[in-house]
Amino acid sequence: MMEWIRFWITAVLLVCGLISFAAGVIGNCRFNYVMNRMHAGGVGDTQGLLLVVLAVAVSAGSIMDAAKLFLLVVFMWNTSPVSSHFLSQIEYYTNPKLFDHMERL
Amino acid sequence: MKNAFQRWLDGDIDLMANISDAAREHDHARADIKERDKKIAREIDSRRETVLMIAREREGLKMVYDVIAVICCVLVILVFMYIIAQLPLYGAENVRATTVAERYIEHGLEETGAINIVSGMILDYRAFDTLGESHVLFTALICVMILLRVDSKNQRKGFEDYYATMRETYFASEKDTILRTIGIFLVPCIFVYGIYVLLNGQNSPGGGFSGGAIMGAAMIIFTSAFGFDRVDRFFTLKLQTYVTFVALSFYSFAKGYVFFTGANGLENHIPKGTPGAILSGGLILPLDVAVGLVVACTMFGFYSLFRRGQIGGSLGRINS
Amino acid sequence: MDLSEIFKIILIVLLIGCAVAVNLTPSLLQAVIIFMSYSSVMCLLWILMESPDLAITEAAVGAGVSGLLFLVTLKKIRREDENAEPGETGPAEGKGSRR
Repeated sequence: MMEWIRFWITAVLLVCGLISFAAGVIGNCRFNYVMNRMHAGGVGDTQGLLLVVLAVAVSAGSIMDAAKLFLLVVFMWNTSPVSSHFLSQIEYYTNPKLFDHMERL
Repeated sequence: MKNAFQRWLDGDIDLMANISDAAREHDHARADIKERDKKIAREIDSRRETVLMIAREREGLKMVYDVIAVICCVLVILVFMYIIAQLPLYGAENVRATTVAERYIEHGLEETGAINIVSGMILDYRAFDTLGESHVLFTALICVMILLRVDSKNQRKGFEDYYATMRETYFASEKDTILRTIGIFLVPCIFVYGIYVLLNGQNSPGGGFSGGAIMGAAMIIFTSAFGFDRVDRFFTLKLQTYVTFVALSFYSFAKGYVFFTGANGLENHIPKGTPGAILSGGLILPLDVAVGLVVACTMFGFYSLFRRGQIGGSLGRINS
Repeated sequence: MDLSEIFKIILIVLLIGCAVAVNLTPSLLQAVIIFMSYSSVMCLLWILMESPDLAITEAAVGAGVSGLLFLVTLKKIRREDENAEPGETGPAEGKGSRR
């Protein structure tokens, strides 16, 4: 009974994580402007990673293994937004046509 | 009127005077020849016919070059695939290929004391090959230094890079608060992880090369987050020279005799310890540390030479 | 033919695609990024072939330091495109302003 619940929770979380990653990748290929692509790419690194790591942690052997996996999430959540920050900052300062891409309200 | 050879025979000119690195004035004959060549090149380029002829030749050559390049690539691919088709399958039984490997796998733990057989193999059975690899890394660092080092002869002066320096200071990543805050948390973690991978080379996957590369990457992040001024306080050229020299000479003295006695080597009486502890494996741990230090210094030395042309801070602030 | 073999074949096809794409992209910056992704796929293949030492080293050196050195070289010669001239542009022409 326990194994069955664990299997199904892992499967659902894993599929949701893969859908997040797929959304990020498809958005990266289909959007036109750098800021939009940055937004799509950030989804994969944050939400997709959390769901996949949750799935693996649920099906892990012991509590210690699950805790070590959450260290991975902490590390990636610290580093990936910093790189997104730098890329969008460079785009904002060096692209002369940036304000043509946006709608002004 | 004597020519240059007779003048050198009589001791009138000294050929070595302009070759040393600290020479301040250029060789006059070489500078004159350079100017004359530049004038001739300018004359040739200013004529339109020669420019068109050169362009047409370059087009024809490009087509021939493309065809020959594709043919050579396809030939090389076919030769490699033919060779690989004759190798045994991955994991199949083959006496010819696995005689030595069986000895390493069966007697590896008791002869070297290392749980990670790969580490035991590259640092105990085949330590001489790893010595050559470390020397190759050191040679690469020296070659990059020869090509890229900025000394007083080729230091850029004047305002020819005014816009470049303006842009550099505008976008400098050392002034960013976010990166600095994250760096305070991140750099010690990566550094300690690199030291962990290095010290546990004989018990778990890792070893000298991986640990050294991770430590070098930690130094690169530290430089990006806090600037070169902070790094120059502890990572000077003298420190890097001494560390690489001591590490490589320690490795050479520890395992260089293998060149004369063969691959089995002499018995070394360093105790092997219990497998699984950190202080185990005989000489594997000190050799791991030596290799890791060389790799870390090489990685950071490459980055520093590429960014600003010097390793320490000895020449002051140069336009990067 | 079990699932891990199919996965390996997909990764190898991706590897060949990356290697060909490095040569055919018009922009040098894209070529460097595809080179780094080549190293990452190679790291995955090393893990599937059960050699984690090589995987750690490939990830740290190939996808990390080597790609970084390429990017620093591109910055030094100030040439992001194959056909553009080395930069005579002035300081940043963007609309933002430093605080």
